[in-house]
Formats: sequence, structure tokens, C-alpha cells
Amino acid sequence: METEEKPVLNGEKHVVDYPRYTYECEGHIQALASVHRIIVKQRKGRFFKIFWLTLMLCSFLLIFNSIFVSQVINGLECIFLLSTLIVRMFQKNEVTEEAVILMPMLGVQLETSYHSGKVMRRFLPMQKILAAVINEAVTPTTCYFYLALLVREKSELTLVFQEVRPPLDVLISIWKALNDATNFQPNYPASIG
Amino acid sequence: MELPAQTTMGRHHRVLMVSDFFYPNFGGVENHIYYLSQCLLQRGHKVVVVTHAYGTRSGVRYMTNGLKVYYIPWLPFFMQNTLPTFYGTFPLIRNILIREGITIVHGHQAFSTLCHEALLHARTMGNKVVFTDHSLYGFADLGSIHMNKVLQFTLADVQQAICVSHTSKENTVLRSNLPSQKVFVIPNAVDTAMFKPDPSLRPSDQVVIVVISRLVYRKGADLLVEVIPAVCKRFPNVYFIVGGDGPKRVRLEEMREKHSLQDRVEMLGAVPHARVRSILVRGHIFLNSSLTEAFCIAILEAASCGLLTVSTRVGGVPEVLPLDMIVLAEPVPADMVSAVGRAIQLLPSINPFEMHKRMKTLYSWMDVAKRTEVVYDHAVNSDSNDLCERLTRYYACGPWAGKLFCLVAVIDYIFALFLQWWQPAELVEVAPDFPVQ
Repeated sequence: METEEKPVLNGEKHVVDYPRYTYECEGHIQALASVHRIIVKQRKGRFFKIFWLTLMLCSFLLIFNSIFVSQVINGLECIFLLSTLIVRMFQKNEVTEEAVILMPMLGVQLETSYHSGKVMRRFLPMQKILAAVINEAVTPTTCYFYLALLVREKSELTLVFQEVRPPLDVLISIWKALNDATNFQPNYPASIG
Repeated sequence: MELPAQTTMGRHHRVLMVSDFFYPNFGGVENHIYYLSQCLLQRGHKVVVVTHAYGTRSGVRYMTNGLKVYYIPWLPFFMQNTLPTFYGTFPLIRNILIREGITIVHGHQAFSTLCHEALLHARTMGNKVVFTDHSLYGFADLGSIHMNKVLQFTLADVQQAICVSHTSKENTVLRSNLPSQKVFVIPNAVDTAMFKPDPSLRPSDQVVIVVISRLVYRKGADLLVEVIPAVCKRFPNVYFIVGGDGPKRVRLEEMREKHSLQDRVEMLGAVPHARVRSILVRGHIFLNSSLTEAFCIAILEAASCGLLTVSTRVGGVPEVLPLDMIVLAEPVPADMVSAVGRAIQLLPSINPFEMHKRMKTLYSWMDVAKRTEVVYDHAVNSDSNDLCERLTRYYACGPWAGKLFCLVAVIDYIFALFLQWWQPAELVEVAPDFPVQ
């Protein structure tokens, strides 16, 4: 697995494209701060799939319940409205971007931006962060890698990315940057990076 | 997926071991999977184990030498088995198969529901499948009939099967109608480095007989209740050590009270596996009274510690040890008592260190791993994964069962297509291999 390791300088941005996400990495003020952004690509067909599924579901329910033509037409209007509402609901809660802003002197800021324009930010001061870890999560249906921070006086890990699941290469670059920032010296295993 | 690298001996396989039975539980199957995986790792293959979650132990753990274990968060519902939902585990198993780049899926133990499900999904995904059966089962009771049908389904489409003894092979072939050319016999082994003799710990004035087993019906606890008082009466210098726990422990305690054998029978209760050796070396003779046994690892452990074994002649037990290291008897109290008598007479001619040395040459896990590799090589070179061929094999299982099996396989295939749409295989990340030192 190769990651392109270039020192990130003033305002320089390098962008890597993945099937689901775009990874952007910027450096500022003589590498005293760096921003790592994961931008979720808008998949064109996605809402259409949800829309179509809802349409099918509602039409099945309706055909089941009524046999009159006028009622069916009214029903179709209802279906259209309902599915539009459902699509808008999904869209609102959707995450467009997640970012990690590393300021080695001060701390780490974790941001999550939603489609509705809302941005959620969390700040962790540098003294509170013990280390960054990459773990594998196993759920009843899937298995993926995630990046988390060990925070002082907290028994649980703090996730760096709440909703987004970037590929392992991206997690490794951000992990390395976090380790350098927290001045933690781990042993990088020979096969990774 | 890239092809595994070639070596001078053969290909490197990427094996997925699946079973409901794994650490932190202790038992024959668990030990087998662990030791086999360790030896395969040392021979250069990649091994990943999948089992269900044990309490809060869920997720990915790494064991010695980088053995990756997935404790998948499906909790057990009955006798340590995961809830059989047929297709519930498919998304996760599929994910694991893709991200680890698995070539062969090796399932263990017919009684494990997770194993059967995983093997079905592996076949739908196009992987080669090997199954190992560790126990003997009956044919007459309701539970066995159902289990045998499920086994017939799984084994209809398996590439190779492994049994731990010839008796077990006969049993498996009869239960599942599998052609016997597909079944290999690879006996279990014992870690002789862990079980070394120490005759200094034995008393010289008494003959100590050790029994370590789960005190359940299958393991002949009722026979013990008859045999122990009879032996104590006939041989005044015999001392019993009984280790293990179970529902029949109460009966043994009662027997001890009734015949006033408190100073001749020592009950230890449940013995953790790490302490088994320290108990075994205190004895001269090991008594095994199982009513059914495909292969008995306990006997191997005892022989490795230099004890002479007295056992019931059931199942695969006669195949385990050469006749000068074991005394066999019918599972009838009178016969067992006379067998103990013969064993006591044989004791002076037994040299524990000689026995241990012989065991080292007879049984080793590395040998089991080499033979399993041969099975894997055969599996990889065998028949194709065409859905139609698989359905033909399932259909031949019986008039009603055949159609049901075909239906299950077809629904699984459709589910696989749905999963490919929902979570395409190209987007599943490949997990990096742990560097083995």
C-alpha cells in the first residue's frame, strides 16, 4: 500500500480521489496547522433509488388497500408528496463533509458539515489527547476501519469521523499527522505506509 | 483478487476457519482450531478465524503470530450456537471474505450453526470449502435426524471433508451420503511440549488413578459411579483423583458418601486447561469412561504425561494409541474393573519418559497441518462453482429435501446479487496483512 508522502507546505493542497469520497489535505503557516477534509461525493442516482423504492412501497400498500380509480389518483398524489418529504428528510441529515484541523500547539478541531448548512464542531486541546489509533469495527452486517483518539479522563474512544468512512490510506495519513502533532512516537509497522 | 504466491512446496492459501467454538472457551474443537491455525501460519499460509461474540468480547482480536480472530456480534442462543437465521450473517461473512482475500473456508464441527451458514455463503461467493467433523452422532433421535439433514445439505456442496478417525469417517459418510473419496482422515494431535511426565510427583505406595472429564452422560459419568467403588473394594491401595464438573457430579459425591470413600477419592471440581498437566502427572493410570468418542485428545494428553490409559472401547478410541499404551474394555462396569486390574499389573513395565518420546514421534500438530495442506491443495484443484452444478448436487439429496435445499441455495444466490448492488465488492477495502515475524 503506498501513500504519497509529500511535506505539506504553506497553502499547498493535495487532493486524492476515491470512489465515494474526495480527500483534500492543506497545510498553513509553515506546517503549524493542517486541514484534512473528507468531502462526500454527491451520487446522482442515489436519491432516485430512494425515491423509486418509496414509490414502489407506497403503491403496493395502496393497491392493497383500495380498488377505486379516483382513490388511486388521489393516492398517487399522496405517494408523490410523501416520497418527496422522505427524500428531503434524508437529504437534510446527510453529511457533505468532515474535516480535521490539526494545530500542533493548540489542539485538534473536528468538524462535520451537513447538507442543511449546519456545521458541528468539536475541539480537543492537545494536552488531553494521548494518542490516535486505527481500529477495526465489526457490526452485525459489515466491517470497516475507523480512526479514534484516546482522550484523558474518558473511558471511551473519541471518533475522529462520525459518519464518513474513508479508506485506510486516508486514515493512515491523518493518523501519522496526528501522531506527529501529539509528539507521540509509535513504532510504524514495516508493511503499512 | 490476486493469486496466492507459489512456493516450492505448493501454494500459499488464505484460510478462513469458521466455528461457534473458539477461545475463550476450552475444548477439543477450540484447541484443534487454534493449534492447526498456528502451525499453518508458521508454514506461511494466512489464517483468519471467525466465531461468535463471547459476552463483551466482540470485534477483531489478534492472537499469537498474528492470528486474526473476528468475534462477530451475533450472540449465541443455545449451547453456544449462534441463532440460525440462514441469511442473517451473509453481509458480514461476505465482507470478511472480500476484505481478507480468502481462498478456502474451513468449517469445524457439525453442531455449529455459524459454520453451516458460513459454508453456504462461501459457496455462493465462489470460495472452496472444507469441513472437519469432530464428533460422532447418532441416527435415531429427533435432534440427530435434523442435524444429519442439515449436515447433508452442507456436505452436498463441500469440496473435501476431514474426519478425526476412521470410525468418524464411517459415521460422517453414513450420515451425509458424501462419497467416501472426498473424506480424508487426519487425527488430532497433542502439544507434547506442554504435557511432560514427572514421576517424582507420584506416590510410591499407592496406585493413583486420574479421571478428568466433563461429568455428563456422554462421558460415562454413570459408569464411573459403578466402577470406582468396585475398584476401591478390590484393590486396597488405589487412590482416585476426579477432576471436572457437570450435572453428574452430584451422583459421584453421593457415591463417595455412600461407600465412605472420602479418603480414597479426591474430587477437584472444574479444572482449567492450564492446570490439567499438574493433575495428570500425579497419577499412574488415566481412566476414560466415555460412552461415545470420535477421537479422544484427553487420552493423548495422559499418554504424553506417561500415564497408562484404561478406556472404553467405543468410537475412535481404539485407533488412538498403540495397544501397549492402552487397556481397552467394554463400557460395562465388570469389564472395566478387570481392565483396571490388568493395567495395575502392567504398571511396573511402563516407562513414562519412553512413552512421552514415542508420543512425540506419533503425534504432532505440524504433521496435522502438513496433511491439512494436502487437503487444501485438493480442494483448490477441484470442481467449479457453477450454480447449476450446485443445484444438481442439492437436488439429489432427497425427494422433499432436495427441492428445499435448491430453494435455499437460489435465495442465497439472489441475496448475493442484491448485496453486490448494495455494497459492491470493488468498494470493500482490503485489510492489510499482519506482518508475521
